[in-house]
Amino acid sequence: MSEFVQYLVNGLTIGAFLALIALGYSMIYGVVRLINFAHGDVFMIGAFAGYGVLTTLGVTGGSAWPALLAAVVVGALTTGVVGTGIARAAYVPLLSSPRLALLISAIGVSLALEEGVKDLTHARFKSYPGVLDGGRIFSGTVRVTYGQLALVLLSVALMAGLWLFVTRTVTGTAMRALAMDRDAARLQGINVERLILVTFFVGSMLAGAAGVMYGLYYVQISFGMGFLIGLRAFTAAVLGGIGNLPGTMVAGVCIGLVQSFAAGYVSSRWTDVIIFGLLIAVLALRPTGLFGERVVERA
Amino acid sequence: MKARFALLRNPALRHGGWPLLIVIALAGGQVMDDYQVTVAGTILIYAILGLGINIVVGYAGLLDLGFAAFFAIGAYTSGLLMLKLDWNFWLTLPAAVLAAAAAGVVIGYPTLRLRSDYLAIVTLGFGEIIRITVVNLDVTGGPNGLTGIPPVSVGGRQIVTPAGFFYLALAFFAVVLVLTGLLARTRLAYAWRAIRSDDTAAEAVGVPSRRVKLLAYVLGAAVGAVAGPLNAAQLGTVDPSSFTFLTSLMILLVVIIGGMGSRPGVMVGAIVIVALPEALRTVQEYRGLFFALLLIVIVILRPQGVWPARPRRFRLPARAPAEARPARAETGALLEVDGLTREFGGVTAVADLRLRAAAGQVVSVIGPNGAGKTTAFNCITGLIPPSSGTVALGGRRVRGLSPHRVAAAGLARTFQSIRLFEEMTVAENVLIGRFARDRALLRPPRRADLDAVRRCLDFVGLADAADRPAGGLPYGDRRRLEIARALAAEPRVLLLDEPAAGANPTEKRALMELIARISGLGTAVVLIEHDVALVMSISDRVTVLEHGRAIAEGPPAEIQADPRVIAAYLGVPDDPETDLVTEVLG
Ligand SMILES: Nc1ncnc2c1ncn2[C@@H]1O[C@H](COP(=O)(O)OP(=O)(O)OP(=O)(O)O)[C@@H](O)[C@H]1O
Ligand SMILES: [Mg+2]
Repeated sequence: MSEFVQYLVNGLTIGAFLALIALGYSMIYGVVRLINFAHGDVFMIGAFAGYGVLTTLGVTGGSAWPALLAAVVVGALTTGVVGTGIARAAYVPLLSSPRLALLISAIGVSLALEEGVKDLTHARFKSYPGVLDGGRIFSGTVRVTYGQLALVLLSVALMAGLWLFVTRTVTGTAMRALAMDRDAARLQGINVERLILVTFFVGSMLAGAAGVMYGLYYVQISFGMGFLIGLRAFTAAVLGGIGNLPGTMVAGVCIGLVQSFAAGYVSSRWTDVIIFGLLIAVLALRPTGLFGERVVERA
Repeated sequence: MKARFALLRNPALRHGGWPLLIVIALAGGQVMDDYQVTVAGTILIYAILGLGINIVVGYAGLLDLGFAAFFAIGAYTSGLLMLKLDWNFWLTLPAAVLAAAAAGVVIGYPTLRLRSDYLAIVTLGFGEIIRITVVNLDVTGGPNGLTGIPPVSVGGRQIVTPAGFFYLALAFFAVVLVLTGLLARTRLAYAWRAIRSDDTAAEAVGVPSRRVKLLAYVLGAAVGAVAGPLNAAQLGTVDPSSFTFLTSLMILLVVIIGGMGSRPGVMVGAIVIVALPEALRTVQEYRGLFFALLLIVIVILRPQGVWPARPRRFRLPARAPAEARPARAETGALLEVDGLTREFGGVTAVADLRLRAAAGQVVSVIGPNGAGKTTAFNCITGLIPPSSGTVALGGRRVRGLSPHRVAAAGLARTFQSIRLFEEMTVAENVLIGRFARDRALLRPPRRADLDAVRRCLDFVGLADAADRPAGGLPYGDRRRLEIARALAAEPRVLLLDEPAAGANPTEKRALMELIARISGLGTAVVLIEHDVALVMSISDRVTVLEHGRAIAEGPPAEIQADPRVIAAYLGVPDDPETDLVTEVLG
């Protein structure tokens, strides 16, 4: 029983990161109809940016909440800028080309980011200082730390912020309009290109924040960390129904739980086989994901 | 530059290119040193993989980011059979191909209904599943893979030298090249290119799109799998780390660099992919980065690839023999639609529609924008399922059939927003329309197909444009081409959705004359049209739709006098069509 609860807690924590990354995939797909392959690598860049902040500030251990917050904020801003820059340089010029061209370009960017960081870090792992509060909330067999709680709360806060942004602001509303119909949105006087860049900024920021949180939680980061996490998050975005933000959040948490339970009860070696098998099975039965899409294809 | 390409177009070179290449390769095998000949062998392996993925991505346009899975399945099947069951290499070959083809069904089937972008993630996931599985299982040797695979023997001689292997690879490549060359001439290859261009339109004109897609996966996988045993024989081992996502990406790059659907392009791509990294060996660490940037630059600067596919020109008969179809003695209603209803969420787009069209009749459907006319067509042709109602064609119920079966039953259509296969030529577009009559896939277009293409092009007056890409036609010709494509099916009922939209008065007159000739063939024509004057002059019967309901039905004279119709039309003063209506009705 305690095992089960432990996996549940771990799964929720992982799910919180995954949901944040998945939201970026979903938003970006909504406005440009692109599976942003580089999104997982943007997440990786966020992890390295956060690492840079913590080492620059000389944080070595113990609780250092202001430094942690700074790392998350800087990580998010860095990826926001990187993500927007990528969109500007490699995606916007291809908006009117066939969709395959855009996708190939995204794969190229993904590979370039990975290889670039690999060369810069000499393919070595980096370790975050162990700053996350290790204090337990429960004493007993189930281990739940204040650090875990903080990460989950932070993700929830970010998702709530996104939700308010998308539903309550003019830009957010325009974004949803764009996801529905690009031409109609343009006719309504929406500056499509600017809005696309804003979407990339916001989506990448979420991924960056998730990257820092990942580093704090798992400690080890490396140039290749974005690939599998990105795939899992994208799986969540598809299962949640692309463009469907609440669906994506729920699916992100579900994938986190699947990952945690699969690792616990089966073996972590089979985790991804289970996740991708699930993806293929679900799409075979429900081509628009578990909760339905919120994007409109041309008639 | 120009002159060089002109040289390439020389027919002697065009048809002699491959044999020439093989001869050069045969000679090259004699002079290259062991290192060079090994690299050349690897190029051939990638060329075989490239020819495989070219079917899936290049022809059918289905993105595959996990193609290395088929490479792996081929290699492991062959390796395991040789090691565990002591099978002979040559016996393992068909087993490897069959295993990969089966895997092609497994990955193809669930993805048939998916939106094309999702294919990327599903195929990638499939590739990872295969890779992780072979790494985890004991029988496949875990992370170490398979070792000690015996060398291949040909006629009692074992192939152990790099040069010997190169010749073996060359023989494999030549066979695959010939087979894919034959495949490229079949109707299936045309169907693939049509679904790549617009799978909805292809399905609507009679291409069994699911089967065609599945065949792309299966045949692509089968071709690619040949590289697996070859690679295992070359190395004597099967190493799971050679089937990663990066490998899949390299294979994809072979077609992207070379040019989608182009077999010479595959050769160029394979050379670039294999030889370039060898040339860059001194800067080993930056290879990945270099490739990534190369990819982006190629996509932005030359999206069609280095050696793009050129359309094969049809040799159409000079004059089409008269249509062989018997003058149909069909009487009564060919198309019978009853109680057709379609709801979108809360909106009822079509409500309880009844429609009849008899042989040789022109029946028109008019109504303001959003009245549900196109939705009715979509329901009749099976493109979207109706909420309720029946559709019968010559007495046979077709509701619930997939669009290509409805088309095969004798119902052809055009689209309001013209949907042609833009990258295909005019003649090829019409050829695709023939699938409604003849669904054979694995043979080249027959004489009957070519005659029909010629006849339909003559019929609409587009014969001179036969070899031009459809994407380059002027607007009016595009409309006529869409009609020609529909006529190629020799339909019993033809649905035309606003064929005169955007046409000038001269073009409209020509179109009316064309429609009259079509109905003269004994085809029932159902026409959606906003130009009321045109409708009234050409139709035998008219149905007026408003908010999805038929508010009037009858011969033109009755409709013109119907107060409800006048009220409905006059009730929308801003509608640009209103003036016309008042002019005609008033
Ligand atoms: N896929 C869809 N989802 C939701 N509503 C739809 C869909 N397709 C059509 N509709 C709605 O159904 C109604 C009928 O549309 P339809 O395209 O059939 O009209 P139409 O008579 O062809 O108009 P037009 O003259 O502009 O071509 C419209 O209100 C439209 O918004
Ligand atoms: Mg319409």
